[in-house]
Amino acid sequence: MSEALVEEKYNYGVVRWFTVAAVIYLVVGTLLGVIIAGQLAWPTLNFDIPYITFGRLRPLHTNAVIFAFGGCTLFASAYYIVQRTCSVRLWSDKLAWFTFWGWNLVIISAVITLPLGYTQGKEYAELEWPIDIMIAVVWVAFTLNFIMTIVRRKCSHIYVANWFFLAMMIMVTYVHVVNSLVIPVELFKSYSIFSGVHDAMIQWWWGHNAVGFFLTAGFLGIMYYFVPKQANRPIYSYRLSVLHFWALTFGYVWLGAHHLHYTALPDWTGTLGAAISIAMIIPSWGGAINGMMTLSGAWDRLRTDYVLRFLIMSLAFYAMSTFEGPVMSARVVNALSHYTDWGIGHVHSGALGWVVMVSAGAIYHMVEKLWGREIYSKSLINLHFWVHTIGIVIYICAMWVSGIMQGLMWRAYDEYGNLVYSFAESVGAMHPYYAMRAFGGLLVVIGAVIMLYNVIMTIVKSKEPAAETTAAAV
Amino acid sequence: MSDKHDPYKVKDTGHEWDGIKELDNPPPRWWMIGMHISWITAVIYCILFPSIPLVNRSTEGLLAWTQVKKLEKEFAEVEAMRAPYDEKLLAMSPEDIMKNAELSNFVQGSARVLFGDNCAPCHGAGGAGGPDFPVLADDEWLYGGAVETIVETIADGREGMMPAHGTLLTKEELDDVVNYVVGLSQGKLHEKGRVVFMGESPGEAVCFGCHGEDAKGMPDMGAPNLADGIWRFSGTEEGIRHTITHGVNDGEDDMTRKAIMPAFAEKLSETQIKKLAVLVHQFGGGQ
Repeated sequence: MSEALVEEKYNYGVVRWFTVAAVIYLVVGTLLGVIIAGQLAWPTLNFDIPYITFGRLRPLHTNAVIFAFGGCTLFASAYYIVQRTCSVRLWSDKLAWFTFWGWNLVIISAVITLPLGYTQGKEYAELEWPIDIMIAVVWVAFTLNFIMTIVRRKCSHIYVANWFFLAMMIMVTYVHVVNSLVIPVELFKSYSIFSGVHDAMIQWWWGHNAVGFFLTAGFLGIMYYFVPKQANRPIYSYRLSVLHFWALTFGYVWLGAHHLHYTALPDWTGTLGAAISIAMIIPSWGGAINGMMTLSGAWDRLRTDYVLRFLIMSLAFYAMSTFEGPVMSARVVNALSHYTDWGIGHVHSGALGWVVMVSAGAIYHMVEKLWGREIYSKSLINLHFWVHTIGIVIYICAMWVSGIMQGLMWRAYDEYGNLVYSFAESVGAMHPYYAMRAFGGLLVVIGAVIMLYNVIMTIVKSKEPAAETTAAAV
Repeated sequence: MSDKHDPYKVKDTGHEWDGIKELDNPPPRWWMIGMHISWITAVIYCILFPSIPLVNRSTEGLLAWTQVKKLEKEFAEVEAMRAPYDEKLLAMSPEDIMKNAELSNFVQGSARVLFGDNCAPCHGAGGAGGPDFPVLADDEWLYGGAVETIVETIADGREGMMPAHGTLLTKEELDDVVNYVVGLSQGKLHEKGRVVFMGESPGEAVCFGCHGEDAKGMPDMGAPNLADGIWRFSGTEEGIRHTITHGVNDGEDDMTRKAIMPAFAEKLSETQIKKLAVLVHQFGGGQ
């Protein structure tokens, strides 16, 4: 199919805009992360300016990376994949553009309200109620457009990537709406309709499903399209994808309770959270091995195909962090790991290792197709890969050491039964690891800037006449 | 990936999306075994621990484990280690503790973290003081440095009180008394200021009433010595002027100095307070 025909058949415009937005937000979101990592190591970086203190920038960082970067990546790839795997144009172009401008309006609202201190105080759900409503409306429009496109597909079956996107859309609507049920008192002030431990449980039911459906199911959808496509190999096992899809979908919704061990949450609820978490290791690995086995017989491609490198490394990190998470959710480990930097390290091995790497693979792949041109520089992709990987490894190792050290310092007793360390001493001991973490994070930002440069140059070159038809459009 | 067979020998499912096909491989055997181990593990976990909600309570699980029991058990273990010492401390006065080398050592170790978690945020590590908070490691005491007095300070808290003098004195009187106080620790005598200090001027100051005629303070009232060059808030001329003008804990004055030490009697046990008093006393300045 020629480039012009593809352009006519599919709506690539909205995919292009979401893709570029995602690449920009990755730079912004990770840069915010480095700033707050720096503030933890060197508190003077708060500059005594309330708007940029850690407490306000931290939610901005998490919202920027999860919803701005992660969200735009999901919108871009879901619109791209659903059109190509259903062989049909998006159901509604207008609705698609509505989601682009609506989602970016949400992001801009976050950038304004969070530094001003408007927050619901719920992790990953800080945004106040008018913005929550905006998110719900945009998300439902996204879901509707996606479902209607599938309805009009040209093939009998729905591809596995689209199952995962559907699971994400339905569950994120559900948990976002329930967790955001509040009684508004002012334009930017509201109170949750839940109270006490119920509020905490609802919050973590949302919190873990943001991880489970937004950052896992959605990105597994991305994996299921781009790994076979980039490797040019069939998916290893259809049955494996069915089994691990349903296991993840039914399993994830139970896990929130493991965030509330040793609190007012009843013991039985915690048991269920821990038991199902532990039982989730193997289903999670189902996705990782289905992706990796797809590469059987083509492993040599990793030497030359840097995009594939990103995709396969992301699966390795996915397998690692879906093992680590269940281990941490067991009560006996949680007693040590909870409230420490180990949790931060775990989140970032998932976020930087799995989410960002699978996204980078998808974005590099899409950019070539969307602009009909080979990437500006393959060696910059390789450089991005290494800078990013080294950055993550430094980050995670620093947090493992500091997290386990914190946990051990807090529970250390001498032979007389006296606590050995005061809390402030445990904070002081973290300093070198916080500095290391900031450095690891800085490498991630540098990687993101390299990707932004590479993508911009590819787009710029695609406008030049000489560059035409260098890459196949399909 | 232990599967020996070539994954591409199997058939695909016959579907194709954008060029992507699916093979009909069974999931790897180890993975299927893992799936069964997973659900069995979850079931066993739920049998061992409380897991099924009933009407007013939940199943207890075979281990009869609860997080509260675990907490109590761990507390009991630590208490058992502390008990031989803590029991002795309970009956002893802080002074007797300081005379006993072994107990004194125990208290030093035990109170260090208590101090770090409860006192250091204001008084600094090792009692070195902080901006607007008193140093505990010197021998200047607002309320007295005897160990019993320190116990009292920790248990009941302290709240300094000095009225704001901004409206009670004329500009000239204020200048004079500031100069007098500045001069005290520099060996200079500002006679006009002394008159104000002693309440002999028309202004309503009666500084000597609390700080004493010699300006060396009165521990019973928590009034500091003004003549030793150690300052509760600030020893600069500007700082002293601020303190005299706005007072300390004067509810009528928005710019008043704050000097509140919270009471710890409800937060800490009697023995813990005793330990802290001994530690603070032994920072070096105890009387």
